[in-house]
Amino acid sequence: MASVFRSEEMSLMQLFLQVEAAYCCVAELGELGLVQFRDLNVNVNSFQRKFVNEVRRCESLERILRFLENEMEDNVETVKLEKYPETPLPREMIDMEVQNLEQKLEAELLEANQNQQTLKQNFLELTELKHLLKKTQDFFEVRGLFALPTDIFTAGVIKRERMIAFERLLWRACRGNIYLRYTEMDTPLEDPVTREEVKKNVFIIFYQGEQLKQKIKKICDGFRATVYPCPESATERREMLDGVNTRIEDLNTVITQTESHRQRLLHEAAANLWSWGIKVKKIKAIYYILNCCNIDVTQQCVIAEIWFPVADAGRIKRALHQGMERSGSTITPILTAVHTRMAPPTFNRTNKFTAGFQNIVDAYGVGNYREMNPAPYTIITFPFLFAVMFGDCGHGAVMLGFALWMVVNEKSLLAQKSTNEIWNTFFSGRYLILLMGIFSMYTGFIYNDCFSKSFNIFGSSWHIIPMFKNSTWNKDVLLDNTVLQLDPAVPGVYSGNPYPFGIDPIWNVASNKLTFLNSYKMKMSVVIGIVHMIFGVVLSLFNHIYFKKYINIILQFIPEMIFIVSLFGYLVFMIIFKWCHFDVHSSQSAPSILIHFINMFLFNYGDASNAPLYLHQKEVQSFLVIFALIAVPWMLLIKPFILRANHQKAQRMVRDVDQARGIHHSKGKTEETDPKTRSELEPGVPFIGQVPGRPLRPCLCTVISYFVILLGFR
Amino acid sequence: MPGYSEFYFNVDHGYLEGLVRGFKAGILTSADYVNLAQCETLEDLKLHLQTTDYGNFLANETGPLTISTIDDKLKAKLLTEFHYFRNHAFEPLATFLNFITYSYMIDNVILLITGTLHQRPIAELVPKCHPLGSFEQMEAVSIASNPTELFNAILVDTPLAAFFQDCLSENDLDEMNIEIMRNKLYKSYLEAFYKFCEKQGGTTAEIMRPILEFEADRRAFIITINSFGTELSKDDREKLYPTCGKLYPEGLHLLANADDYEQVKCVADYYGEYKAVFEGVGSGTGEKTLEDAFFEHEVKLNVLAFNNQFHFGVFYAYVKLKEQECRNIVWIAECISQRHRTKINNYIPIF
Repeated sequence: MASVFRSEEMSLMQLFLQVEAAYCCVAELGELGLVQFRDLNVNVNSFQRKFVNEVRRCESLERILRFLENEMEDNVETVKLEKYPETPLPREMIDMEVQNLEQKLEAELLEANQNQQTLKQNFLELTELKHLLKKTQDFFEVRGLFALPTDIFTAGVIKRERMIAFERLLWRACRGNIYLRYTEMDTPLEDPVTREEVKKNVFIIFYQGEQLKQKIKKICDGFRATVYPCPESATERREMLDGVNTRIEDLNTVITQTESHRQRLLHEAAANLWSWGIKVKKIKAIYYILNCCNIDVTQQCVIAEIWFPVADAGRIKRALHQGMERSGSTITPILTAVHTRMAPPTFNRTNKFTAGFQNIVDAYGVGNYREMNPAPYTIITFPFLFAVMFGDCGHGAVMLGFALWMVVNEKSLLAQKSTNEIWNTFFSGRYLILLMGIFSMYTGFIYNDCFSKSFNIFGSSWHIIPMFKNSTWNKDVLLDNTVLQLDPAVPGVYSGNPYPFGIDPIWNVASNKLTFLNSYKMKMSVVIGIVHMIFGVVLSLFNHIYFKKYINIILQFIPEMIFIVSLFGYLVFMIIFKWCHFDVHSSQSAPSILIHFINMFLFNYGDASNAPLYLHQKEVQSFLVIFALIAVPWMLLIKPFILRANHQKAQRMVRDVDQARGIHHSKGKTEETDPKTRSELEPGVPFIGQVPGRPLRPCLCTVISYFVILLGFR
Repeated sequence: MPGYSEFYFNVDHGYLEGLVRGFKAGILTSADYVNLAQCETLEDLKLHLQTTDYGNFLANETGPLTISTIDDKLKAKLLTEFHYFRNHAFEPLATFLNFITYSYMIDNVILLITGTLHQRPIAELVPKCHPLGSFEQMEAVSIASNPTELFNAILVDTPLAAFFQDCLSENDLDEMNIEIMRNKLYKSYLEAFYKFCEKQGGTTAEIMRPILEFEADRRAFIITINSFGTELSKDDREKLYPTCGKLYPEGLHLLANADDYEQVKCVADYYGEYKAVFEGVGSGTGEKTLEDAFFEHEVKLNVLAFNNQFHFGVFYAYVKLKEQECRNIVWIAECISQRHRTKINNYIPIF
């Protein structure tokens, strides 16, 4: 079967690379993105692996890049190139380390930061002092009014949020023997280390005695308050203030210069930051992969084990060759096939159209190797089921327009490399949205619904005039009733030719529009849903045949089909039968399908109010219910016992083999060392994984979508 | 309706309980410790910790790694998690979490007082305090010269005030008095915490009871052993024992009269679990110290807390286990950096 319907065939190969060429070969394979490396050193600690130093160097480079990025914040724009840079050679890492990052940029930037910090710290202190001097002036004036005795005082600055606790503690510790005044500083200051805004208060404490002085000093220390020397006389204060002001001005010029130097450095870094980031990531990834490989005893070659799709063997060989040439080595890499019992990885090849659909399927779970891939069917079923629920050609057109815009401008939109998560979700599902839009327009026409209005293209098949002809309706009837019902049994009211496409527009003005459409859409959804479910079960048959699991066909597929067809398939039959069998004249006597379906399970056929649909209905229905009931234990009960028996048989054989060899029974070891017994065990292993999980999945998806449809209309 | 707390527990505390259980899954396993113990340098240690839930917590460190940076970062991580819990907690969980911090606050106060007694500058002492127990007035502790002053000036505004009633005295703060004060504070703290948990009832009480009882008894044992050879009288000693443990009252009385280590061991023999703890202790180089044996028992009790649902004990257990993990990592790091590999395996594995 074509590989669209199943995951690709994979093969495991051992890859022998010359040590010198290994880096380039892995790099080429990485660019190709078609190979999965097996970790051959699972038991080796991450820090005991071969290339741990290289990984570490990459990490330190990453740290520097992060540091640079932090420094840039939002002020400096990094340059993003159209194309990703090529994988750098190992020596480029040294270049990056020595020339650009570690030695030059980081060191210089660190120095600039350091300078800036000290300058800012100075600036902060001077500004604080300036404010303090101004404020103390006010304090002293107030004090003049109170005429306190001359004493010693301490003035300082403290963070505003600590003020209250500070004041309380001072009061308690000094037993009220102090006089504290404080005001809020008007301008917020910048913390030189964190660069955050801080609000501070200026305080001044008056007290008497040396002991209190010591105590207050300690408390100020404890609350991280900065104490500044403040002269007592007003003239001295004024002089000091002048001095401080000039120093602040000087400092300001110096700070601007340092800042511009820093900006220059950052701009220099910004030009390359993005490509450095990509390069470092690539190098790190390569060394990570090399850490998964074995080095042979002679230290001459690197041995890797890779899974890759058989179809791509040529491209991989070419890439390896290219890598070899790039590294200047002359020994071609050797690929040898490895036979293994390991389950190969599942690989579904996608293109830009199918990727979105494959993603949806993978969200439910990735199938086993070579299992049927439901994604190709999903391409139609998913958007169609959506459209069945959506069903409005006006809104569908809007959606289609949006999807078309995304598809047409695909290239330019892709080039933007947006990081907006919501946008990316929409964009990666653009083909899905496109199909959903198309199908929504289709179902919208079927429902004859465009922004909840109907089109009347072909003219309605219903006419009102005939109702008056045989005087069923007359002037009095019209005046007496607010609502009138057209009777299709009256000749001429219904032309006999249904509206050519979709629902007749006359329903749009009918007051029982909703009742009619709900009943119609419900039945249609049941039909579509059940067909969909049956299709899912049939798909599982292909899996069983492919994997030669005939037991699953007999014990799972057949009873599943019997159950679903004899109950729900019969429901579909009843719906269609009722549509076909009753016409205008007999519609008054048409029975309710729902009641019939319920009575079918109750074996209740004595209901006089609900006439039978057809002859021998009792016999047919009883047969179907009993058949379905038989299918339940058939489906659920037998298989587990068979699998259990198989498992026990395998266990016995393991034990027998062990005893024959005289090995002490140790479960873990025998399974590993003896491939033969392992293979015997295998039929038993899927017991846990297989029964409830895998074959039901396609079925489950359909059931879920089916219920979604039902809920949509309820 | 404390008996039916499981019915409405999740309304207020379900999110945080889920979270703490998630965090608990990140606690290093014995396999991780085996790997850590194989490290040759601190860089190796960092590399291995990166593969665990600690992730990139050391990635932005410049220059060579030191043990104190590792320790700080480990604590900072625990602190972030704890603050998250605390900020999202409702009563009574909020009070419960506050109680956890009180023990660290006591330790910090004592550390600062002892430090100032030895003329150390406060700026040098503050980084040594446990970040979980820092509070606003903490750094001003050094101004106090006796316990009454300490209480009246500083601690009266802190939650520790409630535990201070027994310690008010005009004695000067010397080393002996500080130690007595610490133990008295701890005693009232443990008793208050025990009472609080009992009041919560239900599974919380059930889980916290053995943990706090053990904590109380451990303190009683350690006070006794440390008091040998000091001028602490037997009566005074008995006053320091927390009374919420299994040893209360007979065991404590016996302990108060003990004169040497052997007699303490005899007291422990009356109690099954403590007998086992004391029997595990050896004096040889490769063997456990009493402290380690107690830690080991504590870990065992804390791990048990995770077996039950709908209670606050998991938060306490998580903080304590994480603290033990920090101690383990720091121990291993110390052994690595001092090239003292013989003792590297003396850590206490948790899971």
